Amino acid sequence: MAKPLLRVQHIEVFYHDFHALWDVSLEVEKGLVVSIIGANGAGKSTLLNTIAGVLRPSSGIIEFDHKRIDGWMPYQMVAEGISMVPEGRRIFPRLTVLENLEMGCYVPKARQKRDQVLKKIYELFPILEKRKNQFSITLSGGEQQMLAIGRALMSQPRLILLDEISLGLAPLVIKNIYQTVKQIHSEGISALLVEQDIQRSLKACHKVYVMQSGKIRLEGRPGELSQEDIRKAYFGV
Amino acid sequence: MELLRSRRFIGIILILLGLIALPYWASRYWILLVLLFSLNLALSQMWNLLAGYSGLISLGQQAFIGLGGYALAVFSVYYGFPIWLSIILGGTVSVLFALLISAPIFRMRGVYFAIGTWTVAETLRILFSNWKYVGYGMGLFVKPTYALSFNTIYFTALGAGVASVALVYFLLRSKLGLGLMAIRDEETASETLGVDIFRCKLCCFLISAGVTGAVSGVMYLHHIFIQPYSAFGIDWTVQMVFITIIGGIGTIEGPIIGSFLYVFLHQWLSEYPNVSLLILGSIAIGAILIAPKGIMGTVQEKLGFEFLSPRRK
Repeated sequence: MAKPLLRVQHIEVFYHDFHALWDVSLEVEKGLVVSIIGANGAGKSTLLNTIAGVLRPSSGIIEFDHKRIDGWMPYQMVAEGISMVPEGRRIFPRLTVLENLEMGCYVPKARQKRDQVLKKIYELFPILEKRKNQFSITLSGGEQQMLAIGRALMSQPRLILLDEISLGLAPLVIKNIYQTVKQIHSEGISALLVEQDIQRSLKACHKVYVMQSGKIRLEGRPGELSQEDIRKAYFGV
Repeated sequence: MELLRSRRFIGIILILLGLIALPYWASRYWILLVLLFSLNLALSQMWNLLAGYSGLISLGQQAFIGLGGYALAVFSVYYGFPIWLSIILGGTVSVLFALLISAPIFRMRGVYFAIGTWTVAETLRILFSNWKYVGYGMGLFVKPTYALSFNTIYFTALGAGVASVALVYFLLRSKLGLGLMAIRDEETASETLGVDIFRCKLCCFLISAGVTGAVSGVMYLHHIFIQPYSAFGIDWTVQMVFITIIGGIGTIEGPIIGSFLYVFLHQWLSEYPNVSLLILGSIAIGAILIAPKGIMGTVQEKLGFEFLSPRRK
């Protein structure tokens, strides 16, 4: 296996008194797509938010490219090369499409190649160029998801965190979105994917983690795990 | 678009020229009205920057009004500094004070932030009214301003009003402005994209404090007399809130329209002193109920018209 780009070791995360993640460890190798599956409330989004720096682990280590990054602020993470497509897209409704993309390279380090990257993103999502001066609230759900992904790519990340990118979209649109995930991966960007749709997720990734009640229950390559194992881990039986 | 923009530009220049030429053709009453308009505009534009764009609902802007006014008085009367330098020092003192209180005040959010800022201003009021150096509650007389002509004060006030609009306009078109608008739309998302929310908000807080302090210096050139109970009174902020909400919070044009209305309402209502506040209050409540986005916000929503758009095209 390739060298790990992201290494999460034994982290514990709390929301005040609530213990959300219990001794979670995970690795994302360079250039791979890794996915996390699990039911509602399993802690998938919490884990992504912790890696993105929105939440802080109370103990444990997060390393990115051999650098310790736990406890860093989100903007430092972006500068380092981790960017997130948050759950529910979270685009800026009252900003235009172009302004939304500009927000993606807000950090000075990400800004240097702004024009080049913008061109690439317009190639990936031609619809965004067509709509660049529209308020982003006027976009359709699928277009908004593309915008959210484009925005995350603006900072030229080495690792992209994708949180439920198929949420609330039509099957055909989901297919399109996953096509672009493949394209992103072919550019050499590693991805950590959170998904409720198990089949979709297994098809797209090289390695899968199954979470349940804030713990990792199972890990392995999609081909090596049986449906039965995944089902058991997913429901915690 | 180009034509429209240039026509718009010519319109702005013409209005400005008209206002600059005002002392040469209008009566003193009209000059006074425009002077008050400009000062109100500058102050409420700063409150708009805080509340409308940074989400910081401050009820303590009067702290900087008082500091700016007292700085003018102390530096020009006690130290004999030039008036203009004293005004700038007033702005500087305000920024420093804002920086000092920012550490505890930024730990509060929403309504607590509002109360926190108000408490700071009240503390200053009590402090200044018990401080011998600034003449206790009797206050200070800004004598050196007698040397200034009314027109000079008018031009300074007009300059402050125009500058405040220009400042907010260019600020919003800058990277900081983009960050602020993003925070306003989606705070968590903007954070994950690398916006340092604390720094953006602090930056606005300091700018607004500095400009409010300096504009207050200009205002006290006109008032001549400063006294803690009025200088640190919440009436100032109430006035800024009224103007901004009526005109349209979170729009650059809002405070312009609001100040215009306020100055005229104020003149007209001064004939009915016992009910004037009631009427102003009813108007504010009416506006919040009927058009919560204010005049300019409603116009923008219904007609898509923006005169000074901070948008990037």
